[in-house]
Amino acid sequence: MPQEAQISVNERAFIQDALKEQLRLDGRAFDAFRPLELTFGDEYGVADVQLGKTRVIARISVDVTTPLPERKFDGVFQIITEFSPMASPAFEVGRPTNAEVVLSRILEKAIRRSNALDTESLCIIAGLKCFALRADVHVIDHDGGLIDASCIAVMAALQHFRRPDVLVEGEKATVLSIRERDPIPLSILHQPLCVTFSYFEEGELFLVDSNLAEEQVRDGEVIITMNRHGEVCQIAKYGGAPVEPYALFNLTSLALQKVKEMSKFIQERLDEDAKRRNAGGLLAELSAENDRPFDRPVG
Amino acid sequence: MAPEAILSHLHRADGSATYTHNGYCIIGAVNGPIEVLRRDEMPEEATVEVNVRPAVGVGSPKERHLETLLHSTLRSIILTRSIPRTLVQITLQVRSLPDEESSTGVSPSLLLLPHLLHTSLLALLSASIPLSTTLTAVLIALPSTNTATASTQLLSPTAQELLRAKPIRSAHVFAFSGEGKLLLNESDGTFSYEEWDEAAEAAQEVCCKEDGGVGLGEGMEVDGREGQNLDDWLRSVVRTKVGHEQRWKSTS
Repeated sequence: MPQEAQISVNERAFIQDALKEQLRLDGRAFDAFRPLELTFGDEYGVADVQLGKTRVIARISVDVTTPLPERKFDGVFQIITEFSPMASPAFEVGRPTNAEVVLSRILEKAIRRSNALDTESLCIIAGLKCFALRADVHVIDHDGGLIDASCIAVMAALQHFRRPDVLVEGEKATVLSIRERDPIPLSILHQPLCVTFSYFEEGELFLVDSNLAEEQVRDGEVIITMNRHGEVCQIAKYGGAPVEPYALFNLTSLALQKVKEMSKFIQERLDEDAKRRNAGGLLAELSAENDRPFDRPVG
Repeated sequence: MAPEAILSHLHRADGSATYTHNGYCIIGAVNGPIEVLRRDEMPEEATVEVNVRPAVGVGSPKERHLETLLHSTLRSIILTRSIPRTLVQITLQVRSLPDEESSTGVSPSLLLLPHLLHTSLLALLSASIPLSTTLTAVLIALPSTNTATASTQLLSPTAQELLRAKPIRSAHVFAFSGEGKLLLNESDGTFSYEEWDEAAEAAQEVCCKEDGGVGLGEGMEVDGREGQNLDDWLRSVVRTKVGHEQRWKSTS
């Protein structure tokens, strides 16, 4: 497979000099995201995120399996990120690049390990049957900021997804199809979102949501995942640029502001979609779900 | 209902297309001609690589099988000898499938195949890869109710139509080149030679009806099927694409 085209020396110098003069090539402020677009498909659990030229599709699907023997009361949740040559010819099928490994690790830490999804709610019969939920992340177009875009896509898709209802009678469980019983939303405990800060000039400058050219020039990156309640889920730092410990406090407060904006945006889009689906206002009557407090943080 | 196509909408790939038809939505991207790995390099031809990625999960033998079919079909229409020692990389990502797909009783790879062929052709056109001809493909299903005649054949049926016509005895996928020559045939189920012959004839009608042959085509319009055949549809898509690319010329 061909190598990713290296950015030329001139281009690199141009970006760096412009940054020294407080300018970005696309004219954005240093702490500005590219225009974010989020659309949902006709099916439940498909989120199409466009962040500038980057485009990521996340798709949630569900299956019934036996739970892991050491975790009898938990369902299974997997996030699968596999890059295809569609995003860039340098991505080869079956041979993960560095970026792919980092992306899957960050998503794992940010969403799965932070318990964003209550896996216990996926259990059907303890030790025997549970739902296996999988999130497939498809990178369609790659122009930097993959981690942020993928995280938004997965979280939006999880919130959009509805799993089929089950009827349990003793040892026997019946999965009811969408036609029989209105599917129920997943129980999401909190909504972690990632914000990537790219470091330049030996840690003197940082940019939010850098595009591919800026990513190739940067010295290092700090990825902060937090939810809109201000709880930090993970901080990861890659690359060699030194970062002041105190600067991290600055970053987290900036990240919180961005995460709040993004959460609000996702919620707006989810509401719009719900309104579109609930054309006759009949969904409330069909719902088989018990009232439970969803959006409240745990602890 | 005619398929919908959006061309050249991805920024990174050399050519791309999104194709939507009968509840199937596929995104195709083509990179090429690009540098090829040494072990795949061929001295007098271009290497063609096809990747089919399912909507859910990672590739399975089903996708590998589809890749093999697509590879041999596309290799025969790409002018590989005019771009030797290069790679043409075709990636097809299935974005959505109709909900009823799994319960139709027809092999899912056959259902998907015509859509994959169309998407890859559109993506190749968008990437301006030299092609010797175009192709159009169609699925024909024969329900097992009675002796199959032309009227009971289902021409590129939707998943719901297949569900209603259950059980399906045999399903056939035909692909024709721009000159009306058979490029690919995949059949599944039990069928007689006469049935196959009729199906092939009907498929050719849908794919590349001659302008002169009015008789049956008129009848099809009355049945409420698309008035134009797939070849005309492809032509209109390409015309729009060329019109878009030449707009700098036509406005002046």
